[in-house]
Amino acid sequence: MVNANSPVSASASINKYKVKSIAIAILPLAALAFLFGLFCIVVTANDYNLELYLTNVINRGTVLVLVATGAIFIYTLGSFDISLGASTLLCATVGVLTYNSTQNVFLTVLVMFAIGVGCSLLSSLLASVFRIPVFVTTVAMMSVLSAIASQLIISNGSGNGLSLPKTVFGPLDSPWIKIAVIAVWVLLCAFLFDFTKIGRREKFLGANPFCAKLTGISMYKYAIIAFVMAGLGVVLGAIFTLSYSPTVNTGTASSIGMDILVAIVFGGMPISGGPRSKIYASLIGGFSYVLLNLTLNIVLRMAGVDSQGSQGITQIISAMVFLAVVYVASMNYRAKNLPR
Amino acid sequence: MQSERQVILQIKGMTKTFGPVTALKDVDLTLYRGDVLGLIGENGSGKSTITSIAAGMQKATKVESMQYKGKDWSPSSMLDALSGCGEGKGIGMIVQESGTIAGISVAENIFLGELDRFRVWTFKSGKTFGPINKKKMFKAAKDALQAIGIDNINPAAPMATLDFQARKLVEIAKVLLKDPDVIVIDETSTALAHDGRQILYNIINRFRGTEKAVIFISHDLDEIMEVCDTLTVLRDGNIIRTFDRAEYDPDEIRKAMIGRELQGDYYRSDYDPTYGEEVVLACDNLVYGDRLKGVGLQLHKGEILGIGGLAHCGMHSLGKVLFGALSPQSGTVTVTDRGGKAIVKNESIAMKHAMGYVSKDRDTESLALSASIKDNIAIAGMDKYAVGKFLIWDPLEKKYVDEQIESLSIKCSDRNQAVSTLSGGNKQKVVFGKWVGCGSEILILDCPTRGVDIGVKQAMYQLMYKLKQEGKAILLISEEMPELMGMSDRILIMKDGEIKKEFLRSKDLSDADIIGYMI
Repeated sequence: MVNANSPVSASASINKYKVKSIAIAILPLAALAFLFGLFCIVVTANDYNLELYLTNVINRGTVLVLVATGAIFIYTLGSFDISLGASTLLCATVGVLTYNSTQNVFLTVLVMFAIGVGCSLLSSLLASVFRIPVFVTTVAMMSVLSAIASQLIISNGSGNGLSLPKTVFGPLDSPWIKIAVIAVWVLLCAFLFDFTKIGRREKFLGANPFCAKLTGISMYKYAIIAFVMAGLGVVLGAIFTLSYSPTVNTGTASSIGMDILVAIVFGGMPISGGPRSKIYASLIGGFSYVLLNLTLNIVLRMAGVDSQGSQGITQIISAMVFLAVVYVASMNYRAKNLPR
Repeated sequence: MQSERQVILQIKGMTKTFGPVTALKDVDLTLYRGDVLGLIGENGSGKSTITSIAAGMQKATKVESMQYKGKDWSPSSMLDALSGCGEGKGIGMIVQESGTIAGISVAENIFLGELDRFRVWTFKSGKTFGPINKKKMFKAAKDALQAIGIDNINPAAPMATLDFQARKLVEIAKVLLKDPDVIVIDETSTALAHDGRQILYNIINRFRGTEKAVIFISHDLDEIMEVCDTLTVLRDGNIIRTFDRAEYDPDEIRKAMIGRELQGDYYRSDYDPTYGEEVVLACDNLVYGDRLKGVGLQLHKGEILGIGGLAHCGMHSLGKVLFGALSPQSGTVTVTDRGGKAIVKNESIAMKHAMGYVSKDRDTESLALSASIKDNIAIAGMDKYAVGKFLIWDPLEKKYVDEQIESLSIKCSDRNQAVSTLSGGNKQKVVFGKWVGCGSEILILDCPTRGVDIGVKQAMYQLMYKLKQEGKAILLISEEMPELMGMSDRILIMKDGEIKKEFLRSKDLSDADIIGYMI
């Protein structure tokens, strides 16, 4: 307590209030623990190989978490980028083409960085130049980037897409390397987000851009920083996409843009961005989302639903969980904003 | 006497809590037909809470009974209350901060929720369909505005292009269009300049002595005693006392409001208009649309320079141009500090040269409401506590924020409390904490005491005076003459985008001397 003049009047209600706040804060983590437990039970109950399935969780979660962690910077500004899946696809496609032309891994990675960050920067610059909402430019970018990637794949590849030798990024296809890279990337972003002026200003911009402007914070400067971070996440996502599957086709990473939105909300990220944004939402939400999908898939298969039906039902259930999470989160937000 | 008067609204045993904060404690309130009831009290005393519950904005946590025109009253929303819960002639409320939507036109704001009445075609059943007849809607909006004496607002104009006063007047027209039997005017007059206030007082007088009633909330004691027939004082969620007009005594009312007598000076007590010779902020020939037409001024170290005028005189735009938030078509703003001279081209440059700006539109421009007290105070002062100019170390940040909370006596449960849950006065203290804490040498304060109670006002005046004595320069933009005369070393009066007159601080200076140059 910082002030002796506090109007707080009832210790019972303080406890209730604090308990509610703490409960809301730990709810995403509790949900992840619950989903993990449920997943393990469902897998072992069917005599499946748990280790193999956990590797699958890491494989599927890695790309999502890496891209989503960078994307948190954009979501914090109260905007969202739906083109990240298309950026990942283009980045991976150009990476494959570069390696196949030069056989130079260093140059390949360099070009992938240029493409990943460049696509993001282009989105933010278009938004700045034409002064239109960021998400509108990213919708346009999604179409453009997907079209370019598809054209490159069709004109340079076979019917199965474009491939590069497994030896290029294949050595990265190890659960421990993936866990280590996720840890480093999330910690780096968390450091920038929670322990630097950049993070503080990003969050404040998300809370009130007008007030932020009148506090000397440049929307364009911090939007560019946010997009660069998202671009770096895209590059990492593209590299690990190729490490797992060295072939890219037009469907590679296609759902990532929407998956990120759902995943970070699962992880406790406020959909409006602002000061309550959390980097770890991508980590918790990404793996929660993957665990939920895989668990539902197994359960539905057990119930005799075919794989297409199972995918559809899983999507519907995920959407319902997404709506429920947003509703609960917004209830808390509304309660905090009632007039005095 | 009172037993002969007809009760229109009666509240018994109302309690309201917000999380850990109890805003109302078992409160009773009675409103009579024909009455203009004033509610007064410090920020956070519960004035807005009790009236907003009656007006359908929120629900009470507990209430023994709430009756409107003798029937149980529990509106589900503000629209429901305004429509009398479907029976017409309900309760309308003009809220303290913005109650309009920026992205649509004035007319669309006025007829929000009932645009169907302007559709081109009508079924036999009376239901309408097709596109909106905008001409008809604009005409109806113009009539609604003219009905309360406003003829200078274009109904087709986007709401965002209007200034704060004009937006407030549109909101008043919108509420009155529904012909409510009770209107709640919540700290609205401080958003209005002289001409806007006259419109509001005319409306109140139209309600007085009729079958209708008004609840008027204000922190301005002189105004509330002038306007209201009875006056109810709230403190810490309790009703302390109700005064009839014959019992009005400013000292007694103040004492009831704050539970003690005010100590020390209200405004500064000296009449010495001296300040430093060094010019710290200057502008020359500033032109900004029709708001500023060649304005030039100099602000000196240790000076409080007052800027006064009517709402549309250009003084609010001047504040923004001086801070770099608006770019003038011609003219320059020059700031001088230890690092030398610089042209203020944007807010970032202004801040680098130790300038701070408190906007009149507090909730939109000065605070991030969804953020905490810590977030709001800390954001401007990071250079003061950052490690190596880049890193934020949480303990240092908390210490910095706690110092501001302590020094300004901000009432809060802790530094992480959302600013949206604070009362108006405490919100404004957070804004002051943000700019004073970061060491601003030049403060541009646009209506800094708007919507704050007498105790907080006194604290802010004392703080301004202290800052002046420390050599800080303050540009005080205000629509309140007593404030300008009470605090300024010099007063510049603006009219139609130009500076018309300069007054020096003097004991003999009066409202009458100044107002002639404003109108």
